[in-house]
Amino acid sequence: MSHAASTHPVLDPRIAPPFPQAALPMLRNPQLRKNVGHAIDVIQAKRARLVAEKTDWQELRTAAAAIRTHALENLGAYLEQFEANCTAAGGTVHWAADASEARRIILHLLRQENATEVVKIKTMTSAEIQLNPFLEAAGVRTYETDLAEIILQLGEGEPSHIVVPALHVNRSQVREIFARRMGLKDLSDDPQALTNAARTYLRQKFLTVPTAISGANFLVAETGTVAVVESEGNGRMCLTLPRTMITLAGIEKVLPRFQDLEVMLQLLARSATGERMNPYNSLWTGVTPGDGPQRFHVVLLDNGRSSILSSPKQRQTLKCIRCAACMNACPVYRQTGGHAYGSVYPGPIGAILTPQLMEMHHAQSLPFASSLCGACYEVCPVKINIPEVLLELRAQVTDQERKHFSRFFDPMYLGLRIANLLFARAWIFHTAQWFGRIGLGPFTRKDGWIHSLPSVGGKWTQTRDLRGLPSQNFHEWWAARRKEAK
Amino acid sequence: MSAPLGSRQRIMDRIRTATQAVAGDSGQRAASYAALPRNYVHRGSLSAEACLELLVERLREYDAEVVETTPQELPAAIASQLAASGKHTFVAPPGLPAEWLAAGYDWKIDHGLTTKEVEKAEGVLTAAFCAVADSGTIVLHHSDTEGRRLLTLLPDWHLCVLRSSQVVETLPEYFDRCPQPPALATTISGPSATADIEMTRIKGVHGPRFLHVILVRD
Repeated sequence: MSHAASTHPVLDPRIAPPFPQAALPMLRNPQLRKNVGHAIDVIQAKRARLVAEKTDWQELRTAAAAIRTHALENLGAYLEQFEANCTAAGGTVHWAADASEARRIILHLLRQENATEVVKIKTMTSAEIQLNPFLEAAGVRTYETDLAEIILQLGEGEPSHIVVPALHVNRSQVREIFARRMGLKDLSDDPQALTNAARTYLRQKFLTVPTAISGANFLVAETGTVAVVESEGNGRMCLTLPRTMITLAGIEKVLPRFQDLEVMLQLLARSATGERMNPYNSLWTGVTPGDGPQRFHVVLLDNGRSSILSSPKQRQTLKCIRCAACMNACPVYRQTGGHAYGSVYPGPIGAILTPQLMEMHHAQSLPFASSLCGACYEVCPVKINIPEVLLELRAQVTDQERKHFSRFFDPMYLGLRIANLLFARAWIFHTAQWFGRIGLGPFTRKDGWIHSLPSVGGKWTQTRDLRGLPSQNFHEWWAARRKEAK
Repeated sequence: MSAPLGSRQRIMDRIRTATQAVAGDSGQRAASYAALPRNYVHRGSLSAEACLELLVERLREYDAEVVETTPQELPAAIASQLAASGKHTFVAPPGLPAEWLAAGYDWKIDHGLTTKEVEKAEGVLTAAFCAVADSGTIVLHHSDTEGRRLLTLLPDWHLCVLRSSQVVETLPEYFDRCPQPPALATTISGPSATADIEMTRIKGVHGPRFLHVILVRD
């Protein structure tokens, strides 16, 4: 943690450094890599065991993919249906075209309540619109209530995973944060003691803060119901005790019918945390007299989502139910952790979601942050073909670069132009090979390998050896062989 | 409405333009929905007895305590669970049968209890709507025997009475039992838990830390 200041991650795609650059501090931090690796190993093992026992796993995936695709294809109608039913049940639906409008709506609602404090259920969507700093600046204290989010909020850290956002922090780091921020000098680093400290810390907040903010895992068009999936009970506290509840939800979260939850809930728990079912699911519809918040608002957020809808290939990105199985399975995420992705949505889903939410104006390095191994597609419970979308986005980024004059200074571009020239005619190619043999000769060792090159060539040999050019190429060998035969 | 109508219109226009090639009218939408593949397991394959055993096993994996009883013995079973808890103050929803409320305890019946009154209670006694054996899940619809959401949230100790006829094997079987979707529902699969610190599962964060289930063979 001593490097925290110098390497504080930036999760705003508009100002975050490109992926390869942002990944460096992570790759050089063995503690962080160990924490991430351990957490992922645990989740992966649990998930694998529970998926294997489910005989209808593939059928569930097929159904879920079809339901989500159908919902997105008919998104307009289902959103209107959700709005009508939620309103009829006593809720108020607001529409936010972008992050700043969503922030303004929420602040306006809080002002109507004279709220100076707000309790929050973990919501990545609120991190996406950077709600907390905005509310704090406007004089509203925000209290995160999910254990991982408390660790990050008190430790001034950033989420690195969408299900277990503090998986990069280990117990002694948590102990240090809690001891310092909660004033508990004698706190031990036992996870049970740390959890108890969080329970005590929040209990009074739950009982006294009258306004809460949540995200939504699903919105049900048929009934106007909202679903929140959780483990700790902090969600239930926020959904039950306050007077007013504000739910921020992306427009893509809608499901056609209540019964569709029978598919989604089975897939989500197993994929996300490797449980048959997470401890708590809460479903509520508008306002219920005498039970829970008596004022209920839903803020439906677009913020770039509708721009992803038109292309069928890209539209599948919005099927995502935020289980994080893709990042747990990803060999790249495993090495870099989440912060390198420069967005609150890391891993393979982040690599396709973030640039698209930015309408391809930012985060263009992310589609390349993948080995295209396909592990993410294999585990995805709603069958998002992430490699296919990655390739599509890579093509778009390349097309964008084609229009930039600066490409003439890009070594990669220049190299490929030269290669294009060399490969076009056999005689040019052979001449180039001849020059290459002479030029590389001094760097080639006796074993036929080049271990180091000067200048730009060093970029290759820094991390791997290069085969030297053989003294005879295939054409020459073939010609010599035929001559001998005669 | 604090949001200008303009944003709703703008978002809807963008969605409609983007999906015009694939979105159907209401008839096409219904037909396309009806044709969605649903070849997953709907009905379980276990016998009624094996299904109950599975539920008990799952609940015990979650560290819930489970006892079985008959309808006749139920009041006695409740009394013995209450006695074993060592607790004295309990809340209960208004619709529970009078014979469930064993004598000798301080019962606060929820005819509009305040949050503070519920918070002071050491335990809560409720019925349930359904239980799903496959995942060890108890489903509450918050009727007047299951209690407002508050009741099963603040007290640290929850005693839940479940009838065997309420137990289904799979999650889809629960949804089959809801021709009218509930306005409120909470599913409980074991006590409140977290694995946020080094993926170590810790029981009891904010919800009740102790779950006891009485399974009534009816």
